[in-house]
Amino acid sequence: MKEPIISFKNFGFRYKEQKNPTLFDINLDIYPGEKILIIGASGSGKSTLCNCINGLIPFSYEGEITGSCTVNGIEPRSASIFKLSNYVGTVLQDSDAQFVGLSVGEDIAFAMENDMIPRADMLPVIERNAKMVGMQDFIDKVPFELSGGQKQKVAIAGVFGNDVEILIFDEPLAALDPQMGMTAVELIDDISKESGKTVVIVEHRLEDVLHRPVDRIVLMSEGRIVADMEPDELLKSSLLKECGIREPLYITAMKYAGCSLEGNRNLCDLPSLEFTDDNEKKLREFFTMSREPVKENENETVVSFKNVTYSYSGDRNELDDITFEIKKGERVAIIGKNGAGKSTAAKLLCGIIRPASGTIELEGQDIKNMSVKEIGERVGYVMQDPNQMIVKDIIKEEVGLALSIRGVQKETAESQIAKVLEICGLYKMRNWPVDAISYGQKKRVTVASMMALEPDVFILDEPTAGQDYRSYTEIMKFVNTLNKEYGKTILFITHDMHLAIENTDRAIVFADGNMIAADKVFTVLADEEIIKRASLKQTSLYNLAVKLGLDPESTIQHFIEYERSVKENE
Amino acid sequence: MNNKLVINYTPGPTFLHKLTGFTKVFSFLMMTVAIICTYDIRLLIPLLIINIFEIISMKPDYKPIVIMFAITFVTVTLIGNIMLFVVSPNVGLNNIGAENIIWHSTGRLYLSKEFLWYMLVVFIKRTASFASVIAFALATTPSEFASGLNKVGLPYKVCTIVSLAYRTIPDIANDFINIRNSMMMRGVELSKKASLWKRLKNTVLILVPLIFTAFGKVGSIANAMDLRGYGKNKKRTWYAEREPSKGDMVIRALSVVLGLLALYYIIRYRIIDPWPAKMWCPWVKYEDVIQINQIDTIFFMKWFKK
Amino acid sequence: MANKSFGQKLLGVWNTKTIVAVAIGAALFGVLMNYGGIPVFTNTSLTTAMIVPVVVGAMYGPVPALVAAGVGNVIADLLGGWGLWFDWSVGNGVAALFVGLLPLYGAYITEGVFEIKHAIIYMLCCVVGNGVAFGIVTPILTTLFYGGDLNVTFLQALAASLGNIAVEVIIGIPILFLLAKRYKSRTNLEEE
Repeated sequence: MKEPIISFKNFGFRYKEQKNPTLFDINLDIYPGEKILIIGASGSGKSTLCNCINGLIPFSYEGEITGSCTVNGIEPRSASIFKLSNYVGTVLQDSDAQFVGLSVGEDIAFAMENDMIPRADMLPVIERNAKMVGMQDFIDKVPFELSGGQKQKVAIAGVFGNDVEILIFDEPLAALDPQMGMTAVELIDDISKESGKTVVIVEHRLEDVLHRPVDRIVLMSEGRIVADMEPDELLKSSLLKECGIREPLYITAMKYAGCSLEGNRNLCDLPSLEFTDDNEKKLREFFTMSREPVKENENETVVSFKNVTYSYSGDRNELDDITFEIKKGERVAIIGKNGAGKSTAAKLLCGIIRPASGTIELEGQDIKNMSVKEIGERVGYVMQDPNQMIVKDIIKEEVGLALSIRGVQKETAESQIAKVLEICGLYKMRNWPVDAISYGQKKRVTVASMMALEPDVFILDEPTAGQDYRSYTEIMKFVNTLNKEYGKTILFITHDMHLAIENTDRAIVFADGNMIAADKVFTVLADEEIIKRASLKQTSLYNLAVKLGLDPESTIQHFIEYERSVKENE
Repeated sequence: MNNKLVINYTPGPTFLHKLTGFTKVFSFLMMTVAIICTYDIRLLIPLLIINIFEIISMKPDYKPIVIMFAITFVTVTLIGNIMLFVVSPNVGLNNIGAENIIWHSTGRLYLSKEFLWYMLVVFIKRTASFASVIAFALATTPSEFASGLNKVGLPYKVCTIVSLAYRTIPDIANDFINIRNSMMMRGVELSKKASLWKRLKNTVLILVPLIFTAFGKVGSIANAMDLRGYGKNKKRTWYAEREPSKGDMVIRALSVVLGLLALYYIIRYRIIDPWPAKMWCPWVKYEDVIQINQIDTIFFMKWFKK
Repeated sequence: MANKSFGQKLLGVWNTKTIVAVAIGAALFGVLMNYGGIPVFTNTSLTTAMIVPVVVGAMYGPVPALVAAGVGNVIADLLGGWGLWFDWSVGNGVAALFVGLLPLYGAYITEGVFEIKHAIIYMLCCVVGNGVAFGIVTPILTTLFYGGDLNVTFLQALAASLGNIAVEVIIGIPILFLLAKRYKSRTNLEEE
C-alpha cells in the first residue's frame, strides 16, 4: 500500500474575516501519480481546499485550521509557503495575472530567480520546460503578443521550474476559448502521463475536463466533500445536478431520449462509450422524430451592416467588407477568437470607432451622424467585468446614473428608475450597496443601468465568462426575460457553446476580420470548417450524431428545440 | 498603444542594445551626473554629440522622437524663454556676471548678449539631457532596466515594482480606454463640450471603476509571485541580466572615466579655483565678473529688503 | 490598518501584496499621465495622475504612495519619451508623500472610514504638500540641475501646484468618499 502524498484528516478551515468555516470535515487521500478532479460550484470551497495544499493558506489568507493536512509528509501550517513551493506547483485561474515576467523566458525563470540560481544554470531548464509545453519558439515573446492559452502554457512551464511533485490547476479553463481549453486539457493529461506527477484539477466545467480521463472525481458542495468516486459512477448519480454542476450534453441528450444510464460502458468518454442496444435504439428514435419546421423571424431589421470595412493602422483591415442584418427581438451569438473582429464589430455598432467605408444602420437610420451618446440611447453595451462599469455605491444610484448625467427631471427619472428596477428584479434591493451582491446580481445592475435609457438592442460581452452553472442560469434567465417579455434584441459576444446552443437563434461568426457565417446556431455548430476557424470545439452532440451515424445538423437542431420546449414547460 | 512608445519591450539588434542592463543603467547614471553638474558649454556640447551618435547608432524610428522633442522644445524652451524674457531679462547678469545690452524697449524689457548666451547654454544642457534619456530608453528593455537598477544597488523589491509596472501598463491602458468608452455611451461628456467643472466631475466616473479594476488584480498577482518563492531570499538573480561581453567592459570603463572627469571638473573648477559666476562665457573675463547671490534675484526677496 | 503602529502606517507593510499594489499604482500613474489629461485650453491639460498617490496612500500608506508616484513618473517619462526631469519627478514624489498621508490621520479607506474632518485635513495636506514640493523642492533642484531662473520656475511651480490641488480636491475628495463607501459594504459582506 502506497502512502498518500496529500492527506486531509477531519480538516476544517475558517477565514479570519468570516463567521462560519469554509471547509468542514474534509477527509481526502491523494496518492502519488494520481490525476484527480475536484469539482464544485462557486463557493463550494474547492479553491480554498487547493489553497490549503499549496500553502497560500495560512501564508496569505489568515484563518483557523482544525484537523490535519499533510503534503508530502509536511504540515503546510508549520512549514513556509516557500518550502511547499518546492513540492507543489500551482497554475492559477488567471493566466494573465500569473504572467509576471516581461518575456516568456523571464516568466519561466521567475521561480529560479527567486532561488538565486545563476543565469547560466537557468537557460537549459527554461529550454527544457518551454519545450515540454510547446513554447520553445516563443522564448523572447512578450506577454502582450500571447493568447490566453499560450500564457497558460508558460505558467505550467513556470511552476515546473521548481521541479515539483504535485501540480495544481485552479480553474484552468476559465479564461480560455473552447479550442484552447481542449488543448489545455490534453497538455495536462500528457504531462501527467509523461512525468508521473500527481495532478489535481479544480474546475466546474466537467464535460471539458473529461475530454481526457481522470482517475477520480471529488465533488464538493457547501464546504464538504459529497462524493469521491470514479467518473462513470458520478455521472450515473443525481449528485451533479444537486450540487449545481452541468452534466455533459450527451448525457442530457440520453436523458431526454429516456435512456437508462446503467449498463453503458465508458460512460464518461463519448468516443469509447458503448451504448446498450436499448439505449442506442431510443437515441435514434429520439433524434429522428418528426418535428415542426422552425419559424422564421419576420420582424423589421434593427441593426444592419452594409459592406463595412474598418482599419486601425491602415495597412490591415480589422474588418473586411462585413454585411449582415439583425431582426428585432432576435438573440444572436457573435462568435470568433480574440482578434477575429467581433469586438471591433461591437465597437463600430456603438460608434466608439467609425468605419472606413460602408454603412451601419440602427432601425433604418445611418449612425454616421449620431454621437456615441445618442447611439448609447439605442444600444446598451454591457462589458464583461461588472467592476469596469459600476461607479456608485448604491444600486438605485448606479441605475439612475445615465439619467442624472442627461439632466432628466427628478420625478421622471425616479419613475423610470423604479420601472427598470422592477423589470430587472432589483426593486427590493434598490437601496443595497452594489458591493454586497453576487456577480450575477451585479451583472443585472449593469444591464439595468443601460436599461434606464430604454435601448432596443443590448450587446452583452461574455456575460457568463468564469461563472458556474448556477450563476450562468441566473444570468441567462434574466436576459431571456428581457428578450421575450420586453422584445429586446440581444447580441452575445461569446465563446460559450452552451450559451449559444441554449439561448440564441442565430450565430454570426468572425475569423481574421471576415464574417465566415451568419446562420442558424445548429447549422453553424454542425459545420466542421467554421468550428475550426472560429476556435470553437465540436459539441458532444456533434460527436454523438457522428457516432450514431446521424446527420449532425438535424441532431443538434432537434436537441435545441426539444430542450427549449422542456425549459418553457418548466 | 505600442506605436506611441519609445521604449521597447523586446531587445534590438545593435551594439548598444546588446549591452547588459547594468552597463546601460550605470552609464546612463554617469552621463546624467556629468550633464547635471556642469554649465560649461565646452563640456556640454561633446556630451550632446555623444548622445546623438548613440541614438543614430540604434537606427530608431525617428518620428516619435522628433515629435516629443518638438513638444519639449515648444513648451520648455520657447514658452520658457518668452516667460524668462518678460519676467527676468537680467538672467544673463545673474548667471554670467556681466551685461552688454543690445536692445532696450521703452519699458523695463531689454535684451543683452548674455541673455542670449544663457539661453543657448540652458538649451544645450536640456537637449543633452533629453538626448541621453532617449538614448537610454531606446537601448533598454524594462527587464534590463529593473535588473540594472538592482545591480547598481537599489533593493530588488523596488526593482520588481519597476518591471511589474511595465508589465501592467498595457493592460491598464486598455481598461482605461474601455471604461472611458462605456462611460461615453452612458452619456458622460469628457470633451470640451462640457464645462471644465463638469469635466472634472465626470472624470470621477471613470477613475472609480478604473481604480477598482486595476487594484482588484493585486491579490492574484501577489499569489502567483508568492507561490513561486518571491521574497524567499535577501537577493535574487535576474534572467534579463546577461553575462557581460567585452563591449560591456569597454563601456563600463568609459563610464567610470566620465564619472571621474565630472568629479575632477567639480573639484577643480567649482571648489579649488571656482569661476566666479555660474556660467562660463567666452567674452567675459575672470576679473570682470560681477558676483550675484541667486537668492537675491527672486522677486519676493525684494519685498523683504524694503 | 487601524491597529498598525505609526511606523507601519507611514512606511507601509512591504509584503508581496504591497509591492504589486505599488507597481499597479505606478502603472496607473503612467497611464493617466499619457491619457488621463483633462483639456483646459488648447495644449494645456490638467493631469489626473496625482490621484494615484492619494489612492495608494489611502490603502497602503504615504511611503508606498511616494514610491508609486516616483516610479510612475520615471516610467511615464521614459514611455512617453519626453525626457527625465528629476526636478519635477522628485517634486511629484514629495507631493505624493503629503497627499498619501491619509492613514496617519485616521482615514482608513479600505475599512470604509472617511469623514468630513478627514476631507478637511486631506485638503490641507494637498495645499501644504504641493507648496513644499513645488514651492521649495522643485525650484531648488531646477536651479541646481538645469540652471533655471528662479522667478520663472516659481511661476511654473505655482501653475502646476494650482492644477494639482484642483484635481486632488475636486476629483480626489469625491473619489475618496465613494471608495470608502464601497469598501465599507465589501468588508461587511465578508463578515456576514
